Amino acid sequence: MTKAGIKLLAAATALPLLMAGAVSAEEIDYGNFDGYTLRVKLIGGAQYEPLYAEIEKWEEMTGAKVDVLSRKNHFELDREIKQDIAAGTLDWCVGSNHTSFAPQYGTIYIDLNGVIPEATLAEFQELALANSTVDGRLVQLPRHSDISNLYYKKSLYADQGNKDRFKEKHGYDLAPPETWDQFKDQAIFFANAPEFFGTQYVGKDEAITGRFYELLIAEGGQLFDENWNPTFNSEAGVRAVQWFKDLYDAKAVPAGVLNYLWDDTGLGFASGTVALNLDWAGWASFFNDPANSKVAGDIGLVRAPVGSGGKRSGWSGSHTFSITETCDNKEAAASFISFLTSHERQMIEARKGLLPTRAKVWDEAIAEFDGAGNEFMVTVFETYSQSMAEDAFTPPLIAPWIEVSNEIWPRLQAAILGEKSPQEALDEAAESAREVMEDAGYL
Amino acid sequence: MAKIEKKLPFWQREGFTPFILLLPAILVLVLVVLLPLLFSLYTSFTGYRLIRPDSLYNFVGFRNYERIFTDWDFWVAFGRTVLFLTIALNLEFLFGLGIALLINRITWGQRTLRTIMMFPMMFSPILVGYQFKFIFNDNIGVLNNALQSLGLSDGAIPWLVDKHLAMGSIIVAEVWMSTSIFAILLLAGLFAMPRDPLEAAKVDGCNPWQVFRHITLPFLMPFAFIAMTIRSLDVARAYDIVDVMTGGGPAGRTELLWTMIARVGYDNSRMGQANAMAYVSILLSIAFTYYFFRKLIAARRYMGGAN
Amino acid sequence: MDTALKKRIGKAVTWVMTFLLMLIICLPGLWVVLTGFRPNREVLAKPAIWIPEELTLNNFAQIFGFGAEQVAIPVPAYFTNSLIIALTSTVIAILIGMSGGYAFARFRFRFKDGIFLGLMLSRTVPGIALSLPVFMIWSRLGLIDTKPGLIIVYVALNIPFTIWLIDGFFRQIPKEMSEAAQVDGCTRWQAFWKIEFPLARSGIASAAIFAFLTSWNEYALASQLTRSTDSKTLPVGLMDFTAQFTIDWAGMSAMAVIIIVPALILTFIVQKHLISGLTFGGVKG
Repeated sequence: MTKAGIKLLAAATALPLLMAGAVSAEEIDYGNFDGYTLRVKLIGGAQYEPLYAEIEKWEEMTGAKVDVLSRKNHFELDREIKQDIAAGTLDWCVGSNHTSFAPQYGTIYIDLNGVIPEATLAEFQELALANSTVDGRLVQLPRHSDISNLYYKKSLYADQGNKDRFKEKHGYDLAPPETWDQFKDQAIFFANAPEFFGTQYVGKDEAITGRFYELLIAEGGQLFDENWNPTFNSEAGVRAVQWFKDLYDAKAVPAGVLNYLWDDTGLGFASGTVALNLDWAGWASFFNDPANSKVAGDIGLVRAPVGSGGKRSGWSGSHTFSITETCDNKEAAASFISFLTSHERQMIEARKGLLPTRAKVWDEAIAEFDGAGNEFMVTVFETYSQSMAEDAFTPPLIAPWIEVSNEIWPRLQAAILGEKSPQEALDEAAESAREVMEDAGYL
Repeated sequence: MAKIEKKLPFWQREGFTPFILLLPAILVLVLVVLLPLLFSLYTSFTGYRLIRPDSLYNFVGFRNYERIFTDWDFWVAFGRTVLFLTIALNLEFLFGLGIALLINRITWGQRTLRTIMMFPMMFSPILVGYQFKFIFNDNIGVLNNALQSLGLSDGAIPWLVDKHLAMGSIIVAEVWMSTSIFAILLLAGLFAMPRDPLEAAKVDGCNPWQVFRHITLPFLMPFAFIAMTIRSLDVARAYDIVDVMTGGGPAGRTELLWTMIARVGYDNSRMGQANAMAYVSILLSIAFTYYFFRKLIAARRYMGGAN
Repeated sequence: MDTALKKRIGKAVTWVMTFLLMLIICLPGLWVVLTGFRPNREVLAKPAIWIPEELTLNNFAQIFGFGAEQVAIPVPAYFTNSLIIALTSTVIAILIGMSGGYAFARFRFRFKDGIFLGLMLSRTVPGIALSLPVFMIWSRLGLIDTKPGLIIVYVALNIPFTIWLIDGFFRQIPKEMSEAAQVDGCTRWQAFWKIEFPLARSGIASAAIFAFLTSWNEYALASQLTRSTDSKTLPVGLMDFTAQFTIDWAGMSAMAVIIIVPALILTFIVQKHLISGLTFGGVKG
């Protein structure tokens, strides 16, 4: 993903890397599995690959071989695993997983409590482990987490003309938004379609459901009540939908936004034509890389805004590893995923801007960035570490989540486009979501 | 002859030969198409969910069918699919005809032109989807950029979101991908055309339009129907394009049967219901194919070529 | 106006229109090809950069792992897989199609029309409806993520059209020719290879190019039935450029060039047969 950015980063961190290597020449014993071949399915994609280059080392240490059966993007891997469940071909041991997807898979993955030593688990962030737990079972070991914060184009906020005009129009000082209302004001203020946009959001699939969901929480609403009755067609829900709709109607977002996914929003911000961008940590180094991005050196970052319910939005998820129930050598599998989520391995991913799940890695990564004089990444990690610790929440960890999401997002689109009123759209979605929950046995 | 035949083992008898010749084809199709179809027919009567293998034995009768038949969204998608096919196939025919007529008139460099004409056939449908997604992107897409650079438009046109443009954009992608097949088949038709009737018509003082309307076009129709039949056989590959370009959205504006089936079956794991939908979509394809096939037979008769 | 001038104007109009049409056909595709040689930054720039400021082989270098980042995508493996799968399935589909087409062209038998229509209609089943059942049967047979698994599927996809074309072709060849050869002492088998096959060659060639292109470009089923470098094909490999948050469009375009070029070369070679093949194969039968 982050071409030259990574290169730069790698060069900048070469020295500390050497030092770190000298200190911990792999003190952990990963066991001996001579002659065993571990069959794994991993998520593929440029930002995940550097970790897989390390697999060789585990092979050397344990004498085992790793056979990567498939390496696909997230959604394709999901399909493949469902097919495996259907056909009964779970003849592999370790699979990449994700907190949003994990509940669907039921009990095909083992509970890692007791399999991974408690001392090891204690080194992970509590929240990350809690979010990886489904029905009391730790079905996955978090590899790295993600959450969104608000990037903005700094120069816009330093401009005196902007400051004066904004103050005159809205009656408060122009500063990076602290609330979702301010976020909206400022996005509309900066917009000048089609050359320049105030912000943009992802407009389809689970992506927009997730954004709606976190705004719903921030507005003080809930998706379900404690008995799993859908309650998102509340006033808070309507306010959340209205936020998306107002920006769309004001042309503060690109007109095609409803067809956008993460790549579109990220590349849009990098193209310098967007003022504010709520986005994932993985983009940070890309945004600040002059080879890819026109806003490099002009980026500010604040925590995601607060809603009228007094909460910050904090939709979060983790990429994880799981071990199958059918695995023929769970010990080797456990050793493998411990290796992939070890301190050193997480440092490798952290250097590329991925958010670690081990508490200590955060500190060490920040220290490293600091030592290399990379102030921007220090800010990024400090901001994200705060939101990971205080704001993060996952979608409901229930099997029919994706199905519920598929009922919600087309209605959100209909409301944003004005085909239905927000209340109508949400009522309809809630009705369908209720059916889904009934079918799934929750109601 | 008859005497000899009696002594032969049955598989060498004349009457069995065609069946033996056809056996490999039938075997492969039974394995790859018929068996899977029977399986999915069965699952369409169950509440089969992908992630719960035991639900395969959860027989629900016609409930999946009842559900989709009473589902308004399904029928909207159905109607849109029919509309999509009708518009796309007709446009492909018209453009294909135009290209074939033009190329037929050119003698110099024709081989190169023919290869260029087939250029889109080299593109995998999935690639066509990405290609047009980037062309139609409202912010950084080539089309909007071009319109803005030429001063033809000062706004960003949301090609993939607008009520009418979204479906139109997908049709453009589909037409771009598949017009070549029509063009090449119609060109083949033009090549096969006997010269005499054309000359005779010209001598009789027919103008070019009359010649085209009464001689060329009827002769080409069988070729057109072949192309239509071939295309309606595998129109479902348009799924790749739609899935990449819009995924059926926004707000279901570009939802076709195939995107719906994929979402219900895989994302929602409701394979039983998805297979019920798939059966409806298969019937639709069969209807289209059968229609063109009848037309083809009729056109062949008209030309006196059929047996 | 005199006729000579009229003719010249007509010719000029034809040329201009052809040129415009070819431009429309080529531009979207050529743009992809061009993108393959440009850096991402320039491709995604706004305002747009129309005249490339920089052409680079970097995207290709990246794919093959020579780039700065070493994000190698196993293109050689995909390429080999695609080639083996597409060629093998084409050859098998043609053999089966010849045998089937010959049956339809030369014999009268019961249920002939029904069987013919049945074979054709087997192609109407959308891949998305087939993918799961095929997957389940294939996993029982151990064909998942193998080349033979995909080859069998592609043979099935290509049989209907192949039979259709070849059937039409054999009907063009007078029965008497092969009968005469048999009188001269050839067996029916020999007569077929010596008389009928050579005459049907261009029909077979055009059926083959269609079959090859279908297999070479197929994505929906391949994405379900392949998993690793053992069997993944080029179109499936395209998805390697998409991750959860990103699409590397320039890289994908570079890969597209790798997919398109062999198909283009092959088509150009078979070109001559294609037209005559379709001419006789399709209709007259």
